[in-house]
Amino acid sequence: MAERPVLQVRNVSISYLARRGRVRAVSDVSFDLHEGETLALIGESGCGKSTLNLGLIRQLPANATIDSGSILYTRRDGQIVDVLKLRPQELRRFLWSEVSMVFQGALNALNPVLRVSDVVYDTASAHGMPRAEAKRRALDLFARVRLDPERVFNAYPHELSGGMRQRVLLAISLLLRPQIVLMDEPTTAVDILTQRSILDVLEKLRDELNFSVIFVSHDLAVAAEIADTVATMYAGKIVEHGPVNDVFYRPRHAYTLSLLNAAPRLSAGAEELASIPGSPPDLIQPPPGCKFHPRCRFASDLCRDKEPELVSKEAGHLVACHHSDEVLATSREVRA
Amino acid sequence: MSTVPAQSPTTPVPMAVIKPWHTRLRERLFGYAIRVILQGLITVWAVTTFTFFLIRLMPGNPVDIKIDQLMQQGIPYEIARNQAMGLFAFNPDEPLPVQYLAYLGNLLRFDLGNSITNPGVRVIDQIAAFLPWTLFSVGSGLLISFALGVTLGTAMAYWRGSVFDNVLTAIASILYGIPDYIIALLLLIVGGVQLRLFQIGELRGAVDPGIAPGLTLEYIGSVLKHALLPVSTYVLASVGGWILTMKSSTIATLGEDYIAVAKARGLPERRILTAYVARNAMLPLVTRLAISIGFVVGGSVIVEELFQYPGLGRSLLRAINSRDYTTMQGIFLVISISVVVSNMLADLMMGWLDPRIRLGKGHRD
Repeated sequence: MAERPVLQVRNVSISYLARRGRVRAVSDVSFDLHEGETLALIGESGCGKSTLNLGLIRQLPANATIDSGSILYTRRDGQIVDVLKLRPQELRRFLWSEVSMVFQGALNALNPVLRVSDVVYDTASAHGMPRAEAKRRALDLFARVRLDPERVFNAYPHELSGGMRQRVLLAISLLLRPQIVLMDEPTTAVDILTQRSILDVLEKLRDELNFSVIFVSHDLAVAAEIADTVATMYAGKIVEHGPVNDVFYRPRHAYTLSLLNAAPRLSAGAEELASIPGSPPDLIQPPPGCKFHPRCRFASDLCRDKEPELVSKEAGHLVACHHSDEVLATSREVRA
Repeated sequence: MSTVPAQSPTTPVPMAVIKPWHTRLRERLFGYAIRVILQGLITVWAVTTFTFFLIRLMPGNPVDIKIDQLMQQGIPYEIARNQAMGLFAFNPDEPLPVQYLAYLGNLLRFDLGNSITNPGVRVIDQIAAFLPWTLFSVGSGLLISFALGVTLGTAMAYWRGSVFDNVLTAIASILYGIPDYIIALLLLIVGGVQLRLFQIGELRGAVDPGIAPGLTLEYIGSVLKHALLPVSTYVLASVGGWILTMKSSTIATLGEDYIAVAKARGLPERRILTAYVARNAMLPLVTRLAISIGFVVGGSVIVEELFQYPGLGRSLLRAINSRDYTTMQGIFLVISISVVVSNMLADLMMGWLDPRIRLGKGHRD
């Protein structure tokens, strides 16, 4: 993995305006994404991972605002731009050519009245790529994602299966050679075999074309397989961030440990599955101190009063937990 | 030795042989056209048969009505009856099945017969004289209100919740609830009687009398002047429905995933509006438009009478009042044909606009 960070996210906070008040969906999130790195954002539904993903390319719904922070993107020529300061026209050109996205709903992500070729040409012409080049590149990408290129190129979306559509979306996300591809649960809408083939294709493409990925998922097995680094999100914050093996085998945050214990493993019996008690906190009036403390078995008075900072415990492994050493000791015990 | 040739696992599975698209299109269109035309013919026949008997179920017949009129002038019944019978080439005592078979026979020769109450005038000539005015006034009203409704509805969906949206939604809902003849009366009473914006008497008819038809400025101006009130009525009466439908359809489309994806792909706003939002949002409206075209002919009866506009609706009303069976039959025939044709048009347009429907037809064949 190269050292150069392609994306530096600093203190980003995002809130939704709801009837009851402001919902802090993402609060004070910072992380780096390096060239060629695949980062998995994991966490429960409603923890802010999808919001963060959409916020990175400013595609949030109208009732959401990015309140603070900066998103520094390094272009291929080394020039650094703040995504949050781009003017609308600059943002339009930035999108897809620098950072693209594979959306969740594969079935509905393609305009039903346009052919796949129109989608390709639309995307190309919006960014000044000649039609012939767009077609050549699209056919090449379709072959790489194991589709019949000519047939798919001329097809309407309804003529393709769910798995084919998801691979079309994956191919189109790479049309303009972006440095980063954001993926929001790209495999949840398809069956397990299709999921397998999409993951294989994704890994192969990443090795061949060398782009970075931010991968939002609640499927820990998928995250473990595809990610280089993992960030656990809880109540809009990153609570643990580190290399995939560190986070999954030596978790230092109580929430990550609970998540892992709630996921089935082949090596363990079913009786070891443990659900996390309680439900995610109210983000309009979050609990004081560590936001996980009402559900945490390590919680102490310190956790109720003081919110832990995200600090480095060992090389590249950041954690925001007052009792990270205890958690680590427990996780060694349990997972030994 | 196996004779089965080894196939490399990487070879893509060959697709079924596909005929060139124009061959497929021609075959599909041919089978489809025959089916559609047959369906249409059966529908038209059923409607004409139904109306043939229905209009004869109305109390009285042309002769009875004429006798009534003559008797009101003080003529004794016997004389009135003889006069009326002599006036019209219509025998009320002829059995219905005989009348029906004669009518069908004439219809097969494209002969609509003569008007009963205007002896010597062919029904087809009456239709030819009145139909263009109805097509012109109702048709342009429909197109104007459709274009206006689609534009305003889309704009309201884009700026939903704004003052512009709220005010227009209220206006559209009110207009949607008022029938066209009430609007026509309001225009006449408020504009013509109270404010005296125009002389009602001058606006009767389709053109000012004494102007020679032709592509002259004078003639066209006169036509437009006379069409202004009926067309305004049709626009006001139907624009509310178009606005409300287009607005809700556009809002639904704006929430679709492919719109979010199109924005994330960095497409220009204009391209998203036309090819992604409007194209999909208009699909349900196209069917409605085509069906409305079918009702252009019949949808103007009272309004044309109110404005004394010489269209097919007004002549239908007069034919009904004098029980002019043949004229009524002719006009109903025109109405049913136009409904059938516009439904075909709706099918064709939907197939052209929505590829999912296009493929469905291909599979059924």
